[in-house]
Amino acid sequence: MPRKVRVSEKSRRTTAQAPGSGGEISRVPSVTPPVAFPIETLVPQVRLQTPAVGQRVTRPDGRSHGLGQTRYIDDLAFPGMLYAKIKRAGIAAARIRSIDTREAEAMPGVLAVLTGFEIPVNSFGPSLQDQPVLADQRVFHAGDGVAAVAALTEQIAAEAIEKIKVDYEPSPAVFDPLQALREDAPKVHAPASNIYETQVIRKGDVDAGFAKADHIFEGQYRTQMVEHVPLEPHAAIAAWDPNGRVIIHTTLGRITLGRADVARTLKLSLNRVRIVATIVGGNFGGKNEITQEPVLALLSKKTGRPVKGVFTRGDEFTASTTRHPFIMDYKTGVSKDGRIIARKVRLVADGGAYCSWSETTLGKACILSTGPYRIDNLLVEAYVVYTNKTMTGAMRGFGAPQVCFAYESQMDEIAAALDMDPLQIRLLNAFDEGAASPTGQVLHSVVLKDSLLKAAQRFGWKEPRS
Amino acid sequence: MKRRGRGIACMWYPVGFTVAANPSAATVKMNEDGTATLLTGTVETGQGSLTVLAQIAAEELGIATDDVHVVSADTDAMPMDTGAIASRTTYVTGNAVRLAAEKAKLILFETAAPMLGVKSEQLEARDRKIQVKGFPQRNVAISEIAHRAQVVMGQPPIGSASWNPPTVAMDPETGQGKPFSTYVYATQIAEVDVDDETGDVEVLRIVAAHDCGKPINPMLVEGQVEGGISMGIGFALQEQILFDDAGLQVNPNLTNYIMPTSLDMPEIEVDIVDSYDPTGPFGAKGVGEPTSVPTAAAILNAINDAVGVRITSLPATAEKVLAAIKAKQAQNTPRIPAR
Repeated sequence: MPRKVRVSEKSRRTTAQAPGSGGEISRVPSVTPPVAFPIETLVPQVRLQTPAVGQRVTRPDGRSHGLGQTRYIDDLAFPGMLYAKIKRAGIAAARIRSIDTREAEAMPGVLAVLTGFEIPVNSFGPSLQDQPVLADQRVFHAGDGVAAVAALTEQIAAEAIEKIKVDYEPSPAVFDPLQALREDAPKVHAPASNIYETQVIRKGDVDAGFAKADHIFEGQYRTQMVEHVPLEPHAAIAAWDPNGRVIIHTTLGRITLGRADVARTLKLSLNRVRIVATIVGGNFGGKNEITQEPVLALLSKKTGRPVKGVFTRGDEFTASTTRHPFIMDYKTGVSKDGRIIARKVRLVADGGAYCSWSETTLGKACILSTGPYRIDNLLVEAYVVYTNKTMTGAMRGFGAPQVCFAYESQMDEIAAALDMDPLQIRLLNAFDEGAASPTGQVLHSVVLKDSLLKAAQRFGWKEPRS
Repeated sequence: MKRRGRGIACMWYPVGFTVAANPSAATVKMNEDGTATLLTGTVETGQGSLTVLAQIAAEELGIATDDVHVVSADTDAMPMDTGAIASRTTYVTGNAVRLAAEKAKLILFETAAPMLGVKSEQLEARDRKIQVKGFPQRNVAISEIAHRAQVVMGQPPIGSASWNPPTVAMDPETGQGKPFSTYVYATQIAEVDVDDETGDVEVLRIVAAHDCGKPINPMLVEGQVEGGISMGIGFALQEQILFDDAGLQVNPNLTNYIMPTSLDMPEIEVDIVDSYDPTGPFGAKGVGEPTSVPTAAAILNAINDAVGVRITSLPATAEKVLAAIKAKQAQNTPRIPAR
């Protein structure tokens, strides 16, 4: 029999009234209500204007962000959801002799442990499938995952991965990309060569160009490894439906590829995988490929429960892609009036332990490496090598910030040596409409000179310096 | 003593990526009240791409941005998209969205043509109306046409389309080919103060003039430029993942991996260069990645201008800059000649 609850008219009115409106003391609610905000909002005029293109239209998600109402993956929860943690190798190169998970499995609150041996197809990667989902035979860099745990709480999962014992036989490692180029260097993915992608661009005759030049400039430029550091780390939740479809909410910027990678590693047809990307809290290229998604899916399959995984900031640094460090040798032949006649560029990109987007990065870097300048004689040779370090991949600019640092540094060195204004030497060599690119492509909508002049004018470049 | 310097850097950058096909597909469906829903497989990663895509669909349909609701990022329901990468969303996905909206619009035109007594080709969509070209007073509200198309004609206005940028594969021996459909150009100029006693570099001002084709949304372009510059400053001066001799990261945390905060941000002035690319949606190209490309080079050139030292390896930390200043001073100090 349902229990009857009597509520007096007076108390009902009290709770419904706004504080201070009636003179009666209102009750403090036991649960803090959600942030109150008007649902009926005034749409900014600019969103209602036609034509739409060219307008400074505000974003519909801006309001959610501002009110703290945006739901990122970590804000989502499903009934019965478990939390996963991945154990990292902590050694840069090794053979795995054995993995002992018994102590972790025996912990109260631990519902499943997973190792690489249980993954149907334990390899992935956008161009080369050289990356294990969880390392099983060999460790290629210190951030490799070697086992994963699903537990009732994040804390239990974190404690459990500490109790997993992995017996390693250390292997020779290589960290310096120039050493990795050498034939006698330890091979990261033996027996394959450490050089896993080479690119060449030739145009004109670079030696004849140097012979004609009045001045030759040579220099080496280097850039470092950096992280994308999105505010939201990699996060995902995997769950299965009763028909054997897996649904993964995840922070991916490329869901079509993500679905293909998940389906491949789990040996599922594509229509049995659903990827939902919600809203991503910063990508910058770091969320272009899967990371922990197959691990979460398999832990969810083992336990029959939804499983959430959120990278710590440490995981983010050690187990997600970073920007390729570049070593760049530039040799440039210039006429005495400042025209670039020939340029030879040699690039070595540090690919870290896996290919990821290295092919694309190297390709873009090569094409862009001689700068936005009309140069008739070019030779670009570029290599990307494996090292036993964190893998490098797509990051805002795909190799362009690295080569721009080199070609624009050398441009100023040339200007200084010839006693020319840095703006002037750029205008002298800049691409025009219809110019041919290093790959022989005729360029259209070229507004480089406009951008140089506009920036110089805004800055006050030609005004006398204080 | 603080010494002031200025440095310039320009760049070019392709839209999209090499190696493989790079397609996007999209679906636009118009509701019977003249509002629309856009389905796209791309993902909003904070850059405002969904707003830009809504503007492109709205422009093609002759309605306002707020009339278009965008649904995205679910492989069960969305058309294929290569993704939020390579500064390709406005250009590639934007072209697919424009074509999809055009197909939905043609259904509206077919419905409206007999109502206005003209052929479909004589119609245009503007200001939430379908009107006769050159005779804007002869028009019908889009809401009325959309309703009629669905409820009377039995032809709900919907369109799906895909687009892939035309490219030519590169010759493996010479690298000759057409790897990208189009490129953007930009210049940034940095003004810095360098403390010659500590090596500390303060970026005071950055002027950025970027080409993105026709800006679909100038405000979002400015936002991208400002964000790109903050990443460029970190790349130039602060950020670096360090490894020990065993290949373990030394600073995998935000305490020891130093990156710019709002306090490190300079004054930023953004100019959008007049440009129009006929291959892009309404002349647009893209802007995402290029914004952080020239920043480091401009800052390093400014450091050289200020204190006469050229740092050739990034980042130009205070320690590195100070060491270079000291080395230069030592070089310039006259020595007692040997006797």
